[in-house]
Amino acid sequence: MRERFQLCLRNLARHAWRTRIILLIALFGAFLTFLSENLLEDVSRKQSDMFGRAFAGHFRVLAKGIETKNTFGFYHYEPEEMLEPDEISSIKTYLAGVPEVSGAQERIIFSGLVYGVDDAEKGFQGIAMDMGSYDKELRDLYYARGSAVRPGEAQACAATWHEYEKNKNVEVGRQYVFLMPNREGEFVDRFVTVKGGIDYRTMPRDIIGMGSMFFDLDGFRSLVGYSKPLASEVVGFLKDARTANRVLPCIDSYLRENHPRLKVVSWREYAPIFAEIVLGFDVMMRTVEAILIAICVLLVIKLTTFSIIERYSEIGTMRALGFGRADIALQFALEGFLIIAAGALAGFLLAAGVICVLHLTGIHNTLTFFAWVIGDGFSPGFYADKVVSVTLIFLAVAVLAPLLPALQGSRLSILRTLEKR
Amino acid sequence: MNGITIRGLSKDYHLGKTVVRALRAIDLEIKSGSFACVAGPSGSGKTTLLNMIGLIDAPTAGSVRIAGQDIQTLSEQARTRYRSRTLGFIFQSFNLLPVLDVFENIHLPLILHSELAREEKRERVMELVRAVGLEDHVRHKPYELSGGQRQRVAIARALVTHPRIVLADEPTANLDSVTGNEVLDLMERINAERGTTFIFSSHDPGIMRRAKRVIRLHDGEVEAA
Repeated sequence: MRERFQLCLRNLARHAWRTRIILLIALFGAFLTFLSENLLEDVSRKQSDMFGRAFAGHFRVLAKGIETKNTFGFYHYEPEEMLEPDEISSIKTYLAGVPEVSGAQERIIFSGLVYGVDDAEKGFQGIAMDMGSYDKELRDLYYARGSAVRPGEAQACAATWHEYEKNKNVEVGRQYVFLMPNREGEFVDRFVTVKGGIDYRTMPRDIIGMGSMFFDLDGFRSLVGYSKPLASEVVGFLKDARTANRVLPCIDSYLRENHPRLKVVSWREYAPIFAEIVLGFDVMMRTVEAILIAICVLLVIKLTTFSIIERYSEIGTMRALGFGRADIALQFALEGFLIIAAGALAGFLLAAGVICVLHLTGIHNTLTFFAWVIGDGFSPGFYADKVVSVTLIFLAVAVLAPLLPALQGSRLSILRTLEKR
Repeated sequence: MNGITIRGLSKDYHLGKTVVRALRAIDLEIKSGSFACVAGPSGSGKTTLLNMIGLIDAPTAGSVRIAGQDIQTLSEQARTRYRSRTLGFIFQSFNLLPVLDVFENIHLPLILHSELAREEKRERVMELVRAVGLEDHVRHKPYELSGGQRQRVAIARALVTHPRIVLADEPTANLDSVTGNEVLDLMERINAERGTTFIFSSHDPGIMRRAKRVIRLHDGEVEAA
């Protein structure tokens, strides 16, 4: 085998340009596949984080009568549809025992009116939630003029779109009149002081629209005058978003048995555009991977065929000297395998290096929508199953791609190959 | 019998609608240890005959027996093994592998002989390198050698597996007369020393004279043997 191996290396060195082309395409294909598979895995696992960090959460437990489809979580509900404290407690206790769930919190979705400087009325939608018990790091997202909002700050965030439109900034310290729904379905008006705000400059306005965050759930309740700690929903987060299909039916079954007036809905229902973005991203990356692998396979087949045509006489000579068809096929297949394996290995190492660097530095991307969604300092990592699957794919490419022309070359007649000199 | 027995050997080639009769029912006996030249003008069937004996081409009719074995009845695997163990080939254009040096080219057929130890293979190759007088060129690539030197490498490669029969198709055709005679000297010496059967083709009268036996072909038939 050592002698065959040496012969392969000599032949590869002889066709240097061809070797380099296959090497480079294998390298590029392996690099991108390795990188994107690991990043896709990261994104898939972090979907819960992503949408939890945004406004949607990953799944919500709320009253059955509430229509959530395409509402992005800002749905309308009747006061009697709010969750009672015992329901909230029971659901949170149940979710704490589900291993796939990373956390849960109750929230109040509200809408109302805000009066701007010239008494212009603006409608708004908002979420009141307890930042202190929020299991995601929101401090890096909600800030005004560069200073983060501290946990537990009452009435911390009440930025409005018209405020930003007018001043191109969030004005901290400004007071607004908020109209908030009370338990009886009426509005109560309250002064709210802006102590922070979402920096809308990082958000495309057509996606986000106007919204308000109220990071003090108890403060909100007392401001509105609730006698009991009610909530409009319990939001739960999955450790891995892909477990939704398995976990949500279990939660649904639990609710049917214990809280028949409630239901569980996935973010895929109330924010389908995000599901489409993730799906589109997956499809795009996988298509690029598939195209690269297909190019790699076709190129190897084509270049191995060239190599065989160029070495017709050699094939004939070797057959005459006693090399069998299997020996000839092995020779060309081994040459193809070595070059693809070398290219893929280099590509894997390069991609691994890039992932390591990104892991150390984090992906800082503060100016895009995804930075807001994913968060600053997103650190990609390695996933054993992805490393194994990508390695197996390229191993299969390295074995199978040169095999077809190698087998064709081995079936050539000795006489014909010797005559082709 | 240890030699080669050819009976009623015919070969037809179909070129479109035309049938070219390359060999016409040849009968021949070639004894073991012969130094025979297959002679004849171009198109007489010399190469075709060597290809039949060398299992490179299949006859249309007739048989070739080597040491009593009808080689046409062998399976593909057995034919390959036969070429590797019993036969040696020398080509008109040398057919050396350009990526391999002299040592490696001679060593090439031994890749298939896994029963031999590495050291034994090396000794066999070096013995032949010395026999063909290329000790100083052992690491030279084919393009660094003259035509005569290349053919000597090809002869050494043909002999390295210790074949019983060496088939050489116009081994001197690409060489000048002096070098051609040197190559013939070498083949003659090996034939005498080892008893290897040499069957070579040529249309050069000077080369024919060197053969112990001349088999003359004309239009696919044996004119004189």
